[in-house]
Amino acid sequence: MTSDLLVIGGGIVGQIAALELAGTGARVTLVDAAHNAGSTTNAGSLHVQMQSRFIRLYPEHAPNLERALPYYKQAAECWDTLEAGLGPMHLVRKGGLMLAESSGQMAFLEEKSRREEAKGLDVALLDRAELDRIAPWIGPWIVGAELCRDEGSLNPLLVNRLLAKACADLGVICISDRIDGLTVTADRVSARGLQGRYRASEAVVAAAWGSGALVRALGVDIPTAPEPLHMNITEACEQKIDHLVQHAERSLTLKQFGTGQIVIGGGWSAHDHGVDTVPGVRAGSLLGNVALAARLAPAIGTLRIIRTWAGMNTTADGTSIVGRLPGAERVIMAVPGDAGYTLAPLVAQMAASIVLGRDPPADPAPCSPARFAA
Amino acid sequence: MTEITFTFNGAGVAASGGQSLAAALIAAGRREFRVTAGGKRRGVFCGIGVCQDCLVTVDGTPNRRACMTGAVDGMAVETQSAFPALRSDAEVPDTPRARVLTPDVLVIGGGAGGLSATIAARRAGAEVVTLDERTVPGGQYYKQSADGGLLDAQQAEGATLVEDARSSGAEIINSVEIWGAFDGPLILAESENAALIVRPRTVIVATGAYDRPIIVPGWTLPGVMTTGAAQTLWRSYRTLPGRRIVVCGSGPLNLQVALELAVGGAEIALVAEAAPSAFRHPLRGARCSIHGPTLAWKGLAMLCGLRWRRVPVRNGLRLAAVEQYEGGLSATFRRTDGGTCTVRADAVCMNAGFEPQNEILRLLGARMTYDPAVGHLRCERSQTLETSVSGIFAVGDCVGLGGAPAACAEGRIAGLSAAALSGHGDGRGLASDRRALRRHRRFQNALWQLHDVSPTPLDSLPEDTVLCRCEEVTVGETLAGYAVNPGHLGTLKRATRIGMGPCQGRYCGPAAARLIAEKTGEALTDRSFFAPRVPVKPVTINAVFSAEEALRGDE
Repeated sequence: MTSDLLVIGGGIVGQIAALELAGTGARVTLVDAAHNAGSTTNAGSLHVQMQSRFIRLYPEHAPNLERALPYYKQAAECWDTLEAGLGPMHLVRKGGLMLAESSGQMAFLEEKSRREEAKGLDVALLDRAELDRIAPWIGPWIVGAELCRDEGSLNPLLVNRLLAKACADLGVICISDRIDGLTVTADRVSARGLQGRYRASEAVVAAAWGSGALVRALGVDIPTAPEPLHMNITEACEQKIDHLVQHAERSLTLKQFGTGQIVIGGGWSAHDHGVDTVPGVRAGSLLGNVALAARLAPAIGTLRIIRTWAGMNTTADGTSIVGRLPGAERVIMAVPGDAGYTLAPLVAQMAASIVLGRDPPADPAPCSPARFAA
Repeated sequence: MTEITFTFNGAGVAASGGQSLAAALIAAGRREFRVTAGGKRRGVFCGIGVCQDCLVTVDGTPNRRACMTGAVDGMAVETQSAFPALRSDAEVPDTPRARVLTPDVLVIGGGAGGLSATIAARRAGAEVVTLDERTVPGGQYYKQSADGGLLDAQQAEGATLVEDARSSGAEIINSVEIWGAFDGPLILAESENAALIVRPRTVIVATGAYDRPIIVPGWTLPGVMTTGAAQTLWRSYRTLPGRRIVVCGSGPLNLQVALELAVGGAEIALVAEAAPSAFRHPLRGARCSIHGPTLAWKGLAMLCGLRWRRVPVRNGLRLAAVEQYEGGLSATFRRTDGGTCTVRADAVCMNAGFEPQNEILRLLGARMTYDPAVGHLRCERSQTLETSVSGIFAVGDCVGLGGAPAACAEGRIAGLSAAALSGHGDGRGLASDRRALRRHRRFQNALWQLHDVSPTPLDSLPEDTVLCRCEEVTVGETLAGYAVNPGHLGTLKRATRIGMGPCQGRYCGPAAARLIAEKTGEALTDRSFFAPRVPVKPVTINAVFSAEEALRGDE
C-alpha cells in the first residue's frame, strides 16, 4: 500500500511521531510488529537525572548521557504538554529521589548533582530530616538523597489508549506486520513486511532495538541492543509515594501509579526469547529486585506482588539517534537513548520536524545518525 | 471443637476453632468482605483461594483471603478497602526461617492425584515432599472436615487416602502457597513463617481445577458463589452458604452439592441444568452406565435423593442474570424456548465445568493443546504421564478435566514413574492402573455428553456485564478495547486492564481468549492465553525478601 508517510514501530515514539505527521493532513501508515512492541510494556518512569545504573553499566557512554541531560529535562516538560492535549495520563511530576545509604554514596550524589545543575537540572541534596518530611516511609538506614524536581511518572497504559485514539481520529492507518527490509529509491521508500509492502515518500524508523537491523542494509550500522528488563507490580494501597525513587548504587526504581499500585523495577535483567516471544522472568531478578525494595521501604512489605513482566530497553551509545540516515535521506531515525520512554515525545517531535521541514523543538545535530556512518 | 471469638469491624463473631474466616463470617450472616476501587461490595466467590474476592484485613495485615485463613481467637478482622494504609513505622522482617528441600519427588497438590502419587512414589523408595495449599490434605474431591469428622463415604475414602499418604513416610506440608516455578526446576513457596526453597529431582504437578463460572450480569454480587465454594463451606466447615439456595450451570457437581446442602438443612429453591434431561438421550445415559456403572448409579441416586426431598431439578435452563434486592438475590433463567423465569434466594451457586490450574505447568514450559470438547488446554503427556519437559509429570484435573478416580490412577502411574526416574524402583507394574485409567476416561467422555458446559459467548451479554472481576472491566469495554487493536490477548489486556488484578486473569482470561478465537477464526493454542508469569499467586514482598535471604545463604 502507498501513503504519504510511513512510520515503522508503534511504540511510544512511533505513535507520537505518527500523530505529529498526521496533524498536517498527511496520509500516515504506522506498521507495528504487534506482539512484543517495546514501549507498550514500559513502566512509565520519567527519568531526568543520570541513572546510577547507567553510569555503572556503561561507563564509556556516561559522558554522552551527561551531554544529553537537557534533552531529558525538556522531554519531561513535553509530557506536560502532551497530557494537556490528549487527556489524563496520571502524570505526576513531584520529583525523583536517589537514595544514599552511606556517606560515600552521599558524596557520589553531591558530585553528580553538581554536574547536573550545570546542565540546567533542578536538583537538591536532602538530609535525613528533609527526607522524613517528604517521604517518611523510607527505611531508617537511608542517610539522605538527591532530589531532582524535574522527574516523575505516568501510567503508560493510559497513554497508549489516548494515543491510539488520537491516531485513529487523525486517520492514521495502523497495521500489524513485521518489517524485515527497507529499500530507498530516488523518489520513495519501500518497506517489505511479512504480509505486504508499504510505500511512502519518507519513512520514520521508530523501532527501538529493532532499528539497527532494519537500516543495516542501507549502509549504516547503528548498535541498538535490546535490553530486556524485569518489572514487578503490587496491588493497590493508599497514595503515599509521591516520588520516583532510585538508589545511588543499586538497581532500583520504585513509584506509585495513580491506581495505587506500586511499580518496582530498576534494570534487573530478563530472558530474551527472541523477537516474536515475550521475554521470560529470571528468578534472581524477581528475588533481588523485590528484596531490595523491601529493605529500602519496609512499609510496603505486607503488600503483595501480583504480576511481573519484562519490557525492552534500548541501549546504543547513551545519546538519542534522530535525523536523516546518511546515504538514504528518505529514512529518518527516531530512536531515543537510554530511558527512551521519557525522551519519546521530544525525539518523536524532532524527527517529525525534520520530515516536515519545521524548526525542531531541540537541536537534533548532536543526535545525528551520521556518527554511525562508516 | 473449641469455641472462639474474633471481631469483624469491631463486632464480636463466634466461631469454631479450625473454621475458615470465610465460613465463620458467612455463618454469622456476613457476606460482604471487601470494597472494590469502584465502590462495589464483594464476598466469597471461589472458596478455594483463586478469585481473591474475599479479601479482608487481619490484625492490620491487608489482603488476606478469608477462605484460606483460619479463624483464631482474638483476631481483629476488618473489611478490606481497595487502598489499605501503609505503615511508615514498619520494619524489615527478621531474617526468617527458611527450609531448603531437595526431594527425589516433589508433589504439588494434596488432592486425589497428588496423594496417590505421594503414596506410590514413597512406596517405590523415593524421598517425597508434598506441598498443599489447603490447611488439610484431601483436595477438592476428598475435601476433609476441618474438625476431622466424616460426613459420608466420599470423605471416608479420602480420609483413608490421607492416612496412607501420611504413614507412607512422605513429608506432607499444608498451608503452602507456591508462587515461583523456574527452570531447574526451582520451586519457591511461602508457608507458615518459613520460606520454602525446593530443588527436586522430579516434580509431579497435581494442582487440580477450579469452577468455571457463568459470566452474567450480577455474577460478582455477594452471595453468588461457585458450587465448589458452597461445597467447601459445607463439607469442610459445616456452614451453609444461605438458607434458600439456587444451584445452576451444568455437570454432576451441581447435583451432588444441591443434595448435600438439602440434607444439611438448606432449602434448595432450584437446581437448573443447562443441558436437556439425560432421559431424553437414553443412548448417552446408557453409555455412561456401561463405562462407569458405579458412578452412573451414584448419579441416579442423587437425582432420586433430590426428588425425594422435593427439590426442583429443571433441565434446559440457563442463568441470564442475578440481581440484588432487599434481603436477597433474584436469579433469572432463560428457557430453551426463549421464555424466562425468576427465582429468589439468598445464595446462588454456579458451576459450568472447570478450568485446569495449569499455571505451574505452563511456566515450566510443558506443551499444551486446546481441547474444544471441554473448552480448555490439555497438557501433553507420555505413557508415564511425563510432560514435554523432562522430569516434570502432571496428573489429575490440572492437565484437563478427568475426574477424581482417573486422578488416583494417574497419580499411581506418575508416582511410580517419577520414583523410577529418580533412581527408585523400575517403574513397572502399572498395567491394572492403565486399564482403570482407560475405563475412567471412557466414562468421563460419556458423562460430559450429558451436560452442556459451552460458555455463553461474551458478545451476547449486556455490555455492562462485568468480565474482569478484579479490575471491574465490563464486556462492553472489552469489546471496545478489542476493536482498537484486534487479534491478541496480551494487547487486549494492556488496552483494557482485563486480567491485571490479583486473580491474574483466571476467570476473564479464558473467556477473553475464546472471544478472540471466535472473532479471528483462529484456533486456540497455548499462546492464545495469557503468558504464564510468576508469581503463580500473589505473594507478599516480605515473603520474597525471606526467600531471597534464604537463597543467598544457600548458594
